[in-house]
Amino acid sequence: MSLPRKVTIWLLVLAVMHGIVLCAGFFAPYNPVEQDRKNPYLPPMRLHVMDTQKHLHLRPFVYLFQIRPGTFDQYAEDTAQPRPLKFFVTGDRYRLLGFVPAHLHLFGADNDRIYLLGTDAYGRDQLSRLLFGGQISLLAGLLGAGFTLLIGWCIGAAAGYYGGWRDDLLMRLAELFLALPWLYLLFAIRAFLPLAVNPLQAFFLIVAVIAAVGWARPARLVRGIVLSAKERDFVRAARGFGASDLYLLRRHIFPETSSVLLTQAAILIPQYVLAEMTLSFLGLGVPEPVPSWGNLLSNLQQYSVLVSYWWMYLPALSIVPFFLGYLGLASALQESPGAYKIGRRSLGSLA
Amino acid sequence: MIRYFLRRLAHAFLLVIGVSILAFFFTTLAPGNYFDEMRLNPQISPETLAALRTQYQLDRPLPIRYASWVNSVLHGQMGFSFAYNSPVAPLLLVRSKNTLLLTITATLLAWAIAIPLGVWSAERLGRLPDRVISWSTAALLVVPDLALALGLLVLAVRTRWFPTGGMVSVDFESLSSFNKIRDLAMHLALPVAALVLSTLPLLVRHVRAAVAEVLRAPFLLAAEGHGIRRSTLLYRYALPAAANPLASLFGFSIGALLSGSLLIEIVMSWPGLGPFLLEAILARDIYVVIGGVLFSTIVLAAGNFLADMLLFWLDPRIRTESASQ
Amino acid sequence: MESEPTLRGQNMEPLLTVDNLSKRYTKRGFAGARQDFVALDGVSFTVSTGTALAIVGESGSGKSTLASCIACLETPSAGNLWFEGKNLAQAPECDLRLIRPQIQLIFPDPASSLSARWTVLEILVEPLVLQGKLSRTQMETRAFSLLERVGLSQDAAERPPSELSGGQRQRLAIARALTLDPKLLILDEALSALDCSVQAQIANLLLELQSSLAMTFLFISHDLAMAAHLADEIAVMSHGRIIEHGPSTKILQNPGHEATRQLLAAVPRLPRPPWPATQQ
Repeated sequence: MSLPRKVTIWLLVLAVMHGIVLCAGFFAPYNPVEQDRKNPYLPPMRLHVMDTQKHLHLRPFVYLFQIRPGTFDQYAEDTAQPRPLKFFVTGDRYRLLGFVPAHLHLFGADNDRIYLLGTDAYGRDQLSRLLFGGQISLLAGLLGAGFTLLIGWCIGAAAGYYGGWRDDLLMRLAELFLALPWLYLLFAIRAFLPLAVNPLQAFFLIVAVIAAVGWARPARLVRGIVLSAKERDFVRAARGFGASDLYLLRRHIFPETSSVLLTQAAILIPQYVLAEMTLSFLGLGVPEPVPSWGNLLSNLQQYSVLVSYWWMYLPALSIVPFFLGYLGLASALQESPGAYKIGRRSLGSLA
Repeated sequence: MIRYFLRRLAHAFLLVIGVSILAFFFTTLAPGNYFDEMRLNPQISPETLAALRTQYQLDRPLPIRYASWVNSVLHGQMGFSFAYNSPVAPLLLVRSKNTLLLTITATLLAWAIAIPLGVWSAERLGRLPDRVISWSTAALLVVPDLALALGLLVLAVRTRWFPTGGMVSVDFESLSSFNKIRDLAMHLALPVAALVLSTLPLLVRHVRAAVAEVLRAPFLLAAEGHGIRRSTLLYRYALPAAANPLASLFGFSIGALLSGSLLIEIVMSWPGLGPFLLEAILARDIYVVIGGVLFSTIVLAAGNFLADMLLFWLDPRIRTESASQ
Repeated sequence: MESEPTLRGQNMEPLLTVDNLSKRYTKRGFAGARQDFVALDGVSFTVSTGTALAIVGESGSGKSTLASCIACLETPSAGNLWFEGKNLAQAPECDLRLIRPQIQLIFPDPASSLSARWTVLEILVEPLVLQGKLSRTQMETRAFSLLERVGLSQDAAERPPSELSGGQRQRLAIARALTLDPKLLILDEALSALDCSVQAQIANLLLELQSSLAMTFLFISHDLAMAAHLADEIAVMSHGRIIEHGPSTKILQNPGHEATRQLLAAVPRLPRPPWPATQQ
């Protein structure tokens, strides 16, 4: 399937961004669950190249913080303690891609800890938590979107291909699922599943829940395509050679739906990442201490945190580059000649 | 016309019933666990549990539980809340009024901005103003509404221009009528702003696309040749022709706004359904959750019904199509 | 409506017997308002092995529906369809799947009947792949020989159908239909989408195939003159029924029915005799 150039570019951009998150162990300086109780709510350390004597350093460095005299929690840079940033350092052990043991990190300092994005209440490095949290959130979004498209395709194809009462029943069911606003539906399904589960179970639970929410719209789109595709002459001709239903669906009808599936994927994946973030933010998703972009934000519900520690807000924006990437991909797909256009009537196509 | 009206009404009604059945079906997702957990829940006394068991036949199969719930709905109770020890309906009524206030205000405001902006943009398709709008909507689109809500909250706290939560001030009752409205408006401002900002980009894009499509039509060119004024052309000729996609967009936007308001109410402490539902989920208050879900369906169905009626009024093709049936 | 088969010295055994075939489409409306559209209304005729029958009629007369029913792509509402001793109208799907390859249908529009995403070779090879009996090389050999048979050049094999002309595409469709050695070949308006000159070329190809292959042909057309050129027998259809059936020469010279006369009148005539009349 040859793709237009613009689409390939956006796919590359997305691949790089996902790649960085995938290799969070390498890009993050520290273990996301490691606590540093002596340094709660440390603000981000600023990178400098020029020190107080106006000397230019080739290697960027940071100043460690010390508590401002006379206050409990105000920090100031301790200009007497510069720490140069070293690259490709050995640090905490982690598993690259989940199974390759490694301990090389992109950057770090020798003995001290550098907090480029500050710390949270337990002194955990926010940058590391951000990167590892991305793994959870993005994976949830990707898996959820994958399952939804799978379910949606099967149901839509069955409805469109076999028609009759099956079509009516399935489309009525789809209508029911579309009659609920998505967050309400999410809540409804989540409400009746166990609340106190371990992080792994919680993760798969959320994936299942968000996948169950969004199948209806892709199903309707696929049904429309299958309805018209099955009457096309080349499909009828293949039937004339003795092809079975499964063969027709697989070799002739599925390719007709591939463009819609790709565009839907570009739209659904960011929405599903956001759904995971929302659930985790509200405490219904991945529980502590496993980081996810959502639960990194959950302590912002306390005003004190919201007001005093601005860096805790940053995970909310972490999804923005990904949204941009997926938006670009979806726009590029829409602009491509013919094949990738969804009908004008289908909403969310301009998201 | 009445036939069409009744048909759409019946359709909406059936939809609500269908969703209630679906919601009840979700309760079977964890049958054994659910009621065991209720027994463990300290908020629910054993007496309450026993009373509910008889009244709602909690361990009986699904159809019986559903039937007793429907019975409860018809009696105006909509089930029973364990956490609040009261029928669900009055609790929902209070909160849903607040949610509706928020959602309807946001809907009106969002559309009031989106239509002129979209039309204006469509008119200048491809040129600088349109590009500016496209880029700004793209920029807004990629910021999740969670970030928007939290950001506005930070703004409120830092500038102290707006109250940071709640619906009314503590001394609301003692204010004059004018000040009451002003107070409400000040509290409404941030949540509405968050909601509007989160849905505006999508609306503007779709309006722009729909109107741009229509502006290319030959009939509009002909009308222009007749010397009709630009504003009349846009709003009395082009916009109704774009009514079809816009009407379905309206229905879709209600759904998006309802979901958005759920989250924003929680973040900004607006006393609507949002915080209430979240609490109910955490407390395993089953009938409240079902009631809330049903409320959202009713509002969405009403919104879609309104959109259908609007379309019927605006699009003569629908009128003739329904008349011939 | 009794058929008068021409004596041609062919095998006179009936290959296909259509017996009172009917096809009704019901439009489902709500509140009980069901509208029936009758496409075929009690059609009966017999096709003998090795002969060529043409079904002629105006648009909407039910010709394409008839073709679909015979090719087992649609199920008739009533009646029987006897093919090699089996009643196709009531056969179960698993039987039909085995029978379908023996009755091949060529569609009016060659562009839509050929999958745009595949190459010519893949299209030709598909029926053989579905049968699964030959090796890849054997399939390709057969495909290339078929290409030659229908007059397409070998280097067309790697091209997508979009790079072929209308006439070439129809040749490809014919080649594909021949892959499985069908007993009955139905051509549904196979020439209508082509230019006049190309029509003549394909018509000649069809005549040539007729004489060289032991195949039975069923031509569907709205062009009475073309039908007479390609077949010995003509059955005229109107509103889902067969109104006339007889040898081509007889129908052309002595149309018995008003509708036939109208069809005859619709044939564009040049100042000189249109087609070399089949001398009997």
